[in-house]
Amino acid sequence: MSGLSIAAEGAGRYISWGVIQISVANLTIIAVMVLLFLLALVIPFPTGHGSDDGGHDR
Amino acid sequence: MFMKTPDSHDFPTRPYDLVKEFVIALVVVLVLSVGLAAMFSSPDDPPITMKGWAQAAPNDVVATAVGELAGTTTSATYGPPYNNASEGQKLGPLPLQKWGGVQLPTDSTSLVLAPLSNVQNNPQLTAALSYWNAATPDQRTKWATDYADALGVPATEDAAATGAGGDPAKVAPGDYGPVPTLSSAFLAFAQSGGLEGALTSSGNFYGGDATRSLLLLADGAYFEDQARAKNLGGDQWGMMNEVGNAPGQPWMWLYTFWYQIPPFSKSDNADALVWGLMMLLTLLLVLVPFIPGLRSIPRWIPVHRLVWRDYYRRTKKA
Amino acid sequence: MTTATGRPGQKTETGSSNWTTRLRNWIVGLVPPGEALPDRQPIYVASWIYVFGVLTLAALAIVIGSGCVLAIGGSAWWHTSSLGRYVNSVHLWSVELLFGFMVIHLWGKFWMAAWRGGRSMTWMTGVVLFVISIGTSFTGFLSQSNFDSQWIGSQGKDGLNSVGVGAWFNVLNPGQMLMWHIVLLPLVVVVVTVVHVVLVRRHGVVPPIDAEM
Repeated sequence: MSGLSIAAEGAGRYISWGVIQISVANLTIIAVMVLLFLLALVIPFPTGHGSDDGGHDR
Repeated sequence: MFMKTPDSHDFPTRPYDLVKEFVIALVVVLVLSVGLAAMFSSPDDPPITMKGWAQAAPNDVVATAVGELAGTTTSATYGPPYNNASEGQKLGPLPLQKWGGVQLPTDSTSLVLAPLSNVQNNPQLTAALSYWNAATPDQRTKWATDYADALGVPATEDAAATGAGGDPAKVAPGDYGPVPTLSSAFLAFAQSGGLEGALTSSGNFYGGDATRSLLLLADGAYFEDQARAKNLGGDQWGMMNEVGNAPGQPWMWLYTFWYQIPPFSKSDNADALVWGLMMLLTLLLVLVPFIPGLRSIPRWIPVHRLVWRDYYRRTKKA
Repeated sequence: MTTATGRPGQKTETGSSNWTTRLRNWIVGLVPPGEALPDRQPIYVASWIYVFGVLTLAALAIVIGSGCVLAIGGSAWWHTSSLGRYVNSVHLWSVELLFGFMVIHLWGKFWMAAWRGGRSMTWMTGVVLFVISIGTSFTGFLSQSNFDSQWIGSQGKDGLNSVGVGAWFNVLNPGQMLMWHIVLLPLVVVVVTVVHVVLVRRHGVVPPIDAEM
């Protein structure tokens, strides 16, 4: 699909399940988003050692 | 009940570099954007031209032209904002489409006749136009409707062909007035490329408003056939999709979902109903902070214990 | 203890009739002193979920930037130039990233009940931004001058006409749709984004649920 393609495209790859029909591209995007969300929740965030509990000055 | 949320400025702090964070985010998103663009590009299916339509589906062009003259096409029977042929859709008891008014008046017969009336050096066509204009509205409708019936439609999976199966060359003789001449002249005009731009803004060098061109195109079957072949139809979750394997609009999933199920899938008022429902759901989402129950879900399903596990651990120790 | 010298909304000169003074005081009072660009954050800001707001902002910057490059070449440039086509692709993918990060940000903020502590306007402006972004991307699709524009326009008109607004917001008018896409809607998006971010800085990042001081 890269480059200047002047040929019109038909339908891409789709997955059907009952009334649900979704493109592989969209499903991939949604799956990646859910994965990112879960990873963001569980992967530890780097907090500096020893600079915690510092003053809450301005 | 709930404890008052403490002031965030009262908590112990630690160094944090917001500007560096933003710059890193900018670099990350830039790299992702240019990388994804280089790998996957973007789709650009060329628009359907009137000439392309006429060359690919000439019978459909003829059938559409006849339908405009008979007043049976989608645009001819649409209602506001184009005409008063129908009341349009309602949201429950509210005739919202009608309240919008006929603000973009469009005479569907003019979609065919206006371009044709500019054609020069075609005495047969000129005569046919005069004949049409001199006739009464009832006579015109009868000619066009009779010709449409005689023309018929091609066979489909579910039904046999009717009339001449959509082929103008096979139409049985009858009194159709100037309609056969007008519709075949329209096809020839489209095939010559003359129809491009003929309907965008009246006689103006700089067109720009494609309303009438698109109404005409959408009155034919070819346009929707092309869209359905690309999975873009309304009952194909089309709002979410893009042509080929390009990413579409996944965020439209809920809007298009309703069209796939009854009662919306079978309702004449589907558009108004779905719009109304989505406006309501959007309002609920905006007002989550004020809706009892809904605003308590994060408490009941404590995903937040993952977000703040570091803090909870510390304060338990302290 | 806080050492704030002023709280949001408190004027340092009272009852001034000087409009400049009042405007300055209002601007200064929007955010507690030092909180417009603080170099410290509460210790509970310690999760990767927090980066999705700034990722959304960054994506918006790339969307607008790539849009500006497209504007240099004009609305038909990307059909005839391979560079234009590439810039269009950057614009498309930055939009997909914008929505992806925005929605993850929304999920995070919901599960953190981030509207607590007087932050309901922050939540509401965020949802409004989401909805306006959808509208902006819609006008973007309508501005592509290709088959997608034709189809999306002819389908979208039915929804808008069914509720009576299709004549004023005519999706079959590419000139109108393009101008909404590149002028009116980006202006609204940027203004509401500024309000949203100022609110975040004003109230600070929401404390954990059930945190006590």
